[in-house]
Amino acid sequence: MQPKRILVALAGTSADPDVIRLVAWVAKPAKAEVVGIHVIEVRWNLPLDAVMEPELDRGEELLESAKKVADQAGLQLETELLQARDAAAAIVDTAVERKCDLIVVAMPYRKRLGRVYVGRTVQNVYVNAPCAVLAYRQEENK
Amino acid sequence: MTDDEGKNETPETPSLEDRTTKSGRLPGNRYVKLYRAPGFRRRGDRYVADEELLESASRLGRAYETVRRFLLGRRLSMEAEETERLSVFTGLAILGSDNISSSAYATEEAMRVLALAGMGAFVFLTPIAIAIVGVLAIVILSQSQVIQAYPNGGGSYIVTSDNLGTMPGLVAAAALLIDYVLTVATSTAAGVYAITSFVPDLQPDAVPIGLAFIALLMVGNLRGVREAGLIFAGPTYVYIFALGALILYGIFRIVTGDIPPAAVPPNPFPQEGEMSLAGLAGSLLVLRAFASGSVGLTGSEAIANGVPSMQKDERRHATITLVLMGATFAVLFLGLTYLAQTIGTIPDRLEAESLNSLVTRSLVGMSPFYYLVQGSTAVILALAANTGFTGFPRLASVLANDRFMPRQFAYRGDRLAFSFGIVALALASALVLAVNQGSVTKLIPFYTIGVFLAITLAQTGLVRRWRRLRSPGWQWRAMLNGLGAVVTGLVLIVVLIAKAPEGAWLIVLIIPLLVALLFSIHRTYMRTQDALVIERLDEEVPLMRAPVVIVPVGRLDRATARAVAFARSISPAVRAVHVSTSEESSREFRKRWDAWAGRVPLDVIESPYRSLVPPLLKYIDRIGERDPDKPITVVLASFVPHSWWEWLLHSQTALRLKASLLFRPNTIVIDVPYHFDEDREDHRHDR
Repeated sequence: MQPKRILVALAGTSADPDVIRLVAWVAKPAKAEVVGIHVIEVRWNLPLDAVMEPELDRGEELLESAKKVADQAGLQLETELLQARDAAAAIVDTAVERKCDLIVVAMPYRKRLGRVYVGRTVQNVYVNAPCAVLAYRQEENK
Repeated sequence: MTDDEGKNETPETPSLEDRTTKSGRLPGNRYVKLYRAPGFRRRGDRYVADEELLESASRLGRAYETVRRFLLGRRLSMEAEETERLSVFTGLAILGSDNISSSAYATEEAMRVLALAGMGAFVFLTPIAIAIVGVLAIVILSQSQVIQAYPNGGGSYIVTSDNLGTMPGLVAAAALLIDYVLTVATSTAAGVYAITSFVPDLQPDAVPIGLAFIALLMVGNLRGVREAGLIFAGPTYVYIFALGALILYGIFRIVTGDIPPAAVPPNPFPQEGEMSLAGLAGSLLVLRAFASGSVGLTGSEAIANGVPSMQKDERRHATITLVLMGATFAVLFLGLTYLAQTIGTIPDRLEAESLNSLVTRSLVGMSPFYYLVQGSTAVILALAANTGFTGFPRLASVLANDRFMPRQFAYRGDRLAFSFGIVALALASALVLAVNQGSVTKLIPFYTIGVFLAITLAQTGLVRRWRRLRSPGWQWRAMLNGLGAVVTGLVLIVVLIAKAPEGAWLIVLIIPLLVALLFSIHRTYMRTQDALVIERLDEEVPLMRAPVVIVPVGRLDRATARAVAFARSISPAVRAVHVSTSEESSREFRKRWDAWAGRVPLDVIESPYRSLVPPLLKYIDRIGERDPDKPITVVLASFVPHSWWEWLLHSQTALRLKASLLFRPNTIVIDVPYHFDEDREDHRHDR
């Protein structure tokens, strides 16, 4: 598979730099366009377009650092900041809007009740995305 | 804010951020796209401009940026100010180097005066040195009071103007500004003198070497105070330890009875002097020697002036640095004086070799240690100039904030240094150095007057402050500062009397002139402020009448069409005016204009003398006179070529006209630029 447009979902976890390097490795030979998005989830007691300064600042910062990592990896990364009730739906909708043929999601290694835990967002993207999905799970010792 | 159709929301006034609500694939799935202009970060109700906005897009700009970054380092944000502070270690090097380095030449300056009465007069050397150290002790105690009273950076100017009034404050400021310039010039000259003492071949190039030193210091200081501290700390400590070791070694040899023979300078003073020590003339000579040796007291005010540049707990750090500085100076100065007198060293009449060099040569010969002492002396003398670079820009910024100096002095450069003040100081001191041919002896008479005047005024101001506040312990504080004021005042009088014939009178003349200049700058600013100030914030903004718009047109082209279109968008009263040099060209232009679809009323002026701007200016005057209440707006079409050199090929009439209209009252000048690239773009669309 030679993806032409890749969407990478960034959550601000320690897995972000790894997944950007991975995307660079996939995208560069295919000369694919890459867009990195971060979705701010809005609680139901707030309007969808509520101004949430701390989250915005954090979002901008993490996208900025993602750009730096991408620069170092020789990847041109376009970034976008979104606000939605459900991050997974927004990721899938953006991928559809942008005609992406691959969504890359990352998850840090974490356990709940003794089992490796895959978050709700990753699961929902997997289930609902019409395009290919690549999930990157961080290795255990990180 | 929302748009269920997924269309972009278009705000009426473009802003730096935008929120567009989009619908997803499934019913009810909506998300908001957040757009923020790159380079601007939101912080509450404001935007913060990022460093990336300062990056130049042009090749020339990027090259300049690379050179700038190499010389000055990367830009620092205001948040980095906390880190741009001095510790005691770097503070002693940066703020104390002027005072400490004075120990290298203070003894020689006193000896050169005493030598006029013959070698016998050197018996007064030790009492004079002790008196100077005594005065320094009083000054340091008094300055520590300045630090306690004005932890936010008093400096003599603030202390004096706060307690004695604006005029005395400005006298102190003027005196200090002059003194900082002289500090840089004198220290640099002394540094070069130390170099030429052991490399005599360099003597003819003393001035260029001095100027290079000043340029180096300027660049070092433009890199910011912390970095300057790190750069300059090394040489200061090498000097302290090298000279300290020399003094200890000298004392050891004297105590063990192994007194070396004194090295002979190339041009020694004669054994018998031309003056007598008897009577009034003799007393005056001793006073002159004391005055000359008092150069060692310069720089003692630098720490009190620069308290805000110290690390947190500024008062404590500044006081420790002040005491360390005084103690270091006293040890080195007394040590060198003792060695010179005990060994019997005579200074050089023609300044071919410094006393410091002679004493070192007597003790260790031309060994590597001699070169270490001389090298470190040369460097610290040049670096002592750095005290001026720390003091002058800071004082100038305070004066600029009080509107006594141009506002540019208050702006901080990329590295948080007061760049304008640093460059101004470098230029002024380079001029002084060049005019005096880099001679220490020529510069010394001008030196010290300013600093003693400023210290005396500040001490007097503090006495008044303690009396006014009457806080616990005010009596002993007032007494201490009173003693400081009396002692420094007396030294000032002695220095003035002793050095007046050598040119010190010039400083007495310059200080009032500088005060008058500062006052006139202040008056100008105040006049401007009075004219511009909005007295009531609830006052309605008056509605302006639509202006009379005049569009000077040289030819009918795309740039003119755009300017006319813009003119019509701001007022219905638009007139175009064309100046032609012949009847035929007038007719030709009129014909084309009348045929043009976007026309507005046109006046054609024939100028048989081929002059363009004066007839246009007169035309604007006459139109303005018809309705003086309406502002005149001149819309200028200007073509912006692709590159700078193409710009030279155009006549720049718009630029000349703009310059002529700059000071015309009730006139608004609007430039409508037309870029070469737009031109190409338009052509492409036409095809």
